[in-house]
Amino acid sequence: MFHDNLTYHFNSSEEDKKILDKSLQREINMARNIQIQLLNGKTPKFEGGEVKGSSLPARLIGGDYYDFYPLIDGNIRIVIGDVMGKGIPAAMLMILTRGAFRSASESTQSPGETLTAINQAIYEDLRTLKSFVTLFCADWSPSTGTLTYANAGHNIPIFINGKTLEVKELPKVKGVMVGGLPNQRYKEVSVRLEENDSVFFYTDGIIEAQNKCGEQYKLERLVLTLLESKDYNVGDIEKCVMSSITRFTEGAPQKDDITMVLLKIRERKADISSLNSPVLG
Amino acid sequence: MELIINREVAGSTVVIHFKGILDISTVHLIDPYLDDMENVEIVLFNFNRLEFIDSTGMGLIINTIYLSQEKNFQLKLEGINEEIGEMFETVGLFQILEVIQKEITDVPR
Repeated sequence: MFHDNLTYHFNSSEEDKKILDKSLQREINMARNIQIQLLNGKTPKFEGGEVKGSSLPARLIGGDYYDFYPLIDGNIRIVIGDVMGKGIPAAMLMILTRGAFRSASESTQSPGETLTAINQAIYEDLRTLKSFVTLFCADWSPSTGTLTYANAGHNIPIFINGKTLEVKELPKVKGVMVGGLPNQRYKEVSVRLEENDSVFFYTDGIIEAQNKCGEQYKLERLVLTLLESKDYNVGDIEKCVMSSITRFTEGAPQKDDITMVLLKIRERKADISSLNSPVLG
Repeated sequence: MELIINREVAGSTVVIHFKGILDISTVHLIDPYLDDMENVEIVLFNFNRLEFIDSTGMGLIINTIYLSQEKNFQLKLEGINEEIGEMFETVGLFQILEVIQKEITDVPR
């Protein structure tokens, strides 16, 4: 039992308030550092492509989440998500989600199974806390060039065809967000990616970023930016998207966190086999 | 733009009209309107004049769906435009509503 009523309570004197404010500020900064370190974990390196994620919280700390998990068969599990709400409460649930994802990835065979396991693990907690998490989970197989994915209420990533320069959403797959309903099974869809194809996973904070007039960045601007930066590597594409959003918002404070993950396919070598496991670098 | 909420009561039906933006900065404004749900049989959320909703706003609707289960009333959503409808569809909100409402109707009042 967690005994909240035994916690030391400060008096309401000015001096006590100052001490409390300083203490809270210090704790928020520590929480922020924890989140930054956990989000800035190792990015997997693999043959025939590259992947990168980044996140910009709207407040000191955020509720968006992305992660990579190298699987024993050489595939890489990618997840991106958005916890309902903002700030410290959302950040706490983001950490809960991260733990569930890592644990589920260890014991499940596919992205759909991973989402099912995460939902099973944290459904009760999320209902108690009246919150939910949207998650999109995908397995990239460098050896077969296949991306298999499942969706728990998240927006569908954008696919950029490296040959035709067509930009569109990946084929839709639906699923109830984590914390929405118990005992959910998540459908999976697979697509084959070719050389120079990219997939842009993102949270709604990007397309809902607002300028000072209250206008939103919208999907159309994102698509244009992705087309303009199609020949760059993932790091430079990410910088282009961030710069474009910053130019558009002109420093207006944002209500939502901004998070993206980029997967770009390079020339695949003929000798790639399942032994070429991705490494964290 | 803020959020303006209007509440109409007709017998055991409560209609709540949303005008403006339902997001993290305005979602708390609904709390007093959902406090007293005794003897209510139907709650109708009208989104005809809703301009924008974010994940926190959708969280409010989902929590109201669960509140309907707890307090045993029916929740109906109307006036949903295409954009907002797509957002509800994406997170699975309609599916949750359907499952929970079915559970309510399966239980005798």
